[in-house]
Amino acid sequence: MYRYDEFDERIVRDRVAQFREQVARRVDGSLTEEEFTPLRLMNGLYLQLHAYMLRVAIPYGTLDSRQMRQLAMIADRWDQGYGHFTTRQNIQFNWPKLPDVPDILAALADVEMHAIQTSGNCIRNVTADHFAGLAADEIEDPRPTAELIRQWSTLHPEFSFLPRKFKIAVTGAARDRAAVAVHDIGIRIVANEAGEIGYSILVGGGLGRSPFIGKTIRDFLPKAELLAYLEAIMRVYNLGGRRDNKYKARIKILVHEIGTEAFAARVEKEFSARNGPPAEVDAAELARIAAYFAPPAYQALPAVSAPFEAAKARDPAFARFAATNLFAHKVPGYTAITVSVKPIGKPPGDVTSDQMRALADIAEHFSFDEMRITHVQNVILPHVRLDDVADVWAALVEAGLATPNAGLITDIIACPGMDYCKLATARSIPIAQDIAVRFADAERQALIGPLGIKISGCINACGHHHVGAIGILGLDKAGVENYQITLGGDPGDGASLGERLGPGVGADAVPDVIERIVDTYLAVRAGPGEAFIDTVRRVGVDSFKPALQPAEEAPREAA
Amino acid sequence: MAIGKRQPEAVILSANALLDGAVVYHDGSGWTPHLEAARVARGDEVSALEALLAASEAQGDVVDALLLPVTPDARGRIVPNHYRERIRALGPTVRRDLGPQARGEHRHVSL
Repeated sequence: MYRYDEFDERIVRDRVAQFREQVARRVDGSLTEEEFTPLRLMNGLYLQLHAYMLRVAIPYGTLDSRQMRQLAMIADRWDQGYGHFTTRQNIQFNWPKLPDVPDILAALADVEMHAIQTSGNCIRNVTADHFAGLAADEIEDPRPTAELIRQWSTLHPEFSFLPRKFKIAVTGAARDRAAVAVHDIGIRIVANEAGEIGYSILVGGGLGRSPFIGKTIRDFLPKAELLAYLEAIMRVYNLGGRRDNKYKARIKILVHEIGTEAFAARVEKEFSARNGPPAEVDAAELARIAAYFAPPAYQALPAVSAPFEAAKARDPAFARFAATNLFAHKVPGYTAITVSVKPIGKPPGDVTSDQMRALADIAEHFSFDEMRITHVQNVILPHVRLDDVADVWAALVEAGLATPNAGLITDIIACPGMDYCKLATARSIPIAQDIAVRFADAERQALIGPLGIKISGCINACGHHHVGAIGILGLDKAGVENYQITLGGDPGDGASLGERLGPGVGADAVPDVIERIVDTYLAVRAGPGEAFIDTVRRVGVDSFKPALQPAEEAPREAA
Repeated sequence: MAIGKRQPEAVILSANALLDGAVVYHDGSGWTPHLEAARVARGDEVSALEALLAASEAQGDVVDALLLPVTPDARGRIVPNHYRERIRALGPTVRRDLGPQARGEHRHVSL
């Protein structure tokens, strides 16, 4: 875990003091809402449908039990006893009162947390592979790089008033679990032919109104040159990005309009004009940061755990959990556990304060005091001894957090949608709940296999619907909620955007349509080993179009 | 939503309270959390609400004021036309224990 130095501490404390004064001036009327809005957004405070919403940054999704307990305390003391994990590894509180927010930020600062870079047209909180530091396919832990970017980008004067928000993701593994291709900048840690570690840089990815897959503009960037190169990209964007139309202001539009080659040429020109050594990453500083992410003190354990195997043999429910919610750890005798925050029928990503405290206790006892929040809105216990998995499972069962559905059809990403969000055009959460209830049967889920459903309640795509194997987009069609369904999206390697199945359907029809899509898949898949996304790619989206309408109804028109 | 064609569209003035962000309605003299107390304006009366809307931004005790179309139900109770505004009147549909609905408010409104 990274620990704040005196500068981090000072920045965060100063910001709390500044915001306390700003809130006071807003409340006493010396600041208008127009003046106050950018100030509150710089501190993660939104105004939603029913209340304010505070989005708290969890850099690269990593936090410890002390921080999780403080989040639980905040939920109880100043909110409604729960929080919501977001699709950018953060947590949101849905009911804070404006005069309380400075106190909440002070409580966050007490545990080295804040709400900076969770809103506004700045470089947002950096995300990373949630299996960082433990995956067997990892070239290097992405978190030191992510932390370096956090330190460089926090309150960066040149990049605090960008044309639009700016999102960076980092992965250090061979397999992309951080969706780097759909970020403004995606960074992949790679090794070159000489065996040196560096970065491959993608730009111009993104979802929202105009989704694009990022383009690689540098295959190998030496590590020391990272910040200078990022600065070059940011400068090209800051100068060339459109400020006349917020819907065309993201870097993806600039890259698309001038072309990848022209964009890369501008970046290289800017980069080559930089001063060199002063802009280079200080190796000592990077090493200092990296030391915070040193591996925990693992024990030497056999790869096979007798207690774990015995528990699986004894208890089918545990065996099912073990089959779905564990991820192979690079260290023998350890595993990473995905704690599903998708209990059947509950809002995806919502955790109560009691559940937060349970997670903190479990992490403290069984996972070197560490947790990760995933962009899939789940929690990872990164370093659990196989010997302890049954005990962890029992504690998770007690906390209502043992749903064995990681990566399956009920592990649904959903934005808050119109139940909370001011921008939403339709609800997302009830759709996720209905689908989860329909597919609640664990055996059926296992039969279907890996399948990501992602739901957004508006075109801004916080629910990542474009990259859902099944994507669902909620729209307002003449005053009625209407849902467009896409198939074939993929956030990972070979990233692809989903293709629309046809006209939208009403909310009540969504579970039926999903069921017919799944039935079609089960009927045409090459075998149990062919995942949904692979079947869609093989047979094409058109094969699924009849699923939009009930079987007894003759298809009236080609969609 | 079926809006009566024969009479001009009815609107009310709504906003979020500055301090807690809660949904409020204008009753002609001030802000109230009670939808049924909202002042309904039609035709020429709408300009008065528009003036209140403009003034609310200057006064600053509420945020994001807007006029929203409503239709009285069979018993004359105010029902917002759009589902977004019905959700605002009730609270999150996935958490019936939160928002105005948790206090038993606006029971005549359904989605």
